[in-house]
Amino acid sequence: MTKALFARVLPLAALLYATAPYGAEPTSSQAARGDAKAGRALVYTCGGCHGVPGYGNAYPHYHVPRIAGQNYDYLVAALTEYKKGERAHPTMRAQGESLSEKDISDIAAYLSSLTP
Amino acid sequence: MKKIQTICLLAACCLATGAAGAETISPEAIQAKAKTCAACHGEDGNASASPMYPRLAGQYHDYLARALHEYKSGERKNAIMAGFAATLSEAEIQGLSDYFGHMPGKLDDLSHHQ
Repeated sequence: MTKALFARVLPLAALLYATAPYGAEPTSSQAARGDAKAGRALVYTCGGCHGVPGYGNAYPHYHVPRIAGQNYDYLVAALTEYKKGERAHPTMRAQGESLSEKDISDIAAYLSSLTP
Repeated sequence: MKKIQTICLLAACCLATGAAGAETISPEAIQAKAKTCAACHGEDGNASASPMYPRLAGQYHDYLARALHEYKSGERKNAIMAGFAATLSEAEIQGLSDYFGHMPGKLDDLSHHQ
C-alpha cells in the first residue's frame, strides 16, 4: 500500500519540483505577459506627460522619456521600482503606487506592442 | 580683504567650470565607449535580444543623460549601471547620450497612439 502510494506520489512530486522554478519566476516575456487591451485603457493617464512631444520635466529640465515601443520587461521593472519607492520621481512614484501588479504588466504589454 | 577672497573664489569656480565645460571628446572615443553599452543595449541601441534592458535608440538625449547622472550619483539604483556610470566623465555622459539619442529607433511619444 505504502509502496504503491509512494510510486504515485514520487513522480508527481518530482514533476512539481522540476517545473516550480519556471512557474514561480516568469521573468521572461511570453508566459506571464499582461493584457495589452486592458493596458491601452490604463495608458490614457500616461499621455498627459508622455503623449506631449517634447514635454519636459520642470526642474531639473529634461524631456520625459519616450515610452511607446519600450521593452516589456524593462517597463515592468521601472514601474515596479516606482511603485516600491525605489525610483525617486515624485509624479511617477504616485502613479506607480496607484497601480496593481496586473495593471503594470498590462501597461507594459500595451506600450511594448506599439511601433512608430 | 574678505571681498577679495570672495572674488578670487568666484574666479576659481568660473575657471574650474569653464575647464570642465571645455572638455571635449572625439566621436571615435564615444563610439569605442559605446561598445560597452552595446553588450546589453545592442549595437543599434534597440536591446532587441534582451527585453530586460531598455531601448536607448531614439530616446531623448537629455533623458539618457539624466539617467546616467542618477546612476552615477546613486539616486537611481542598479548594480550594473552604477558601475559603468561611475567611470564616466561629464563629456562622456553627454557624448554617449547624444550618440544613442540620435540613432534611429523604435521608441515614440504616446501622442501618435491615442
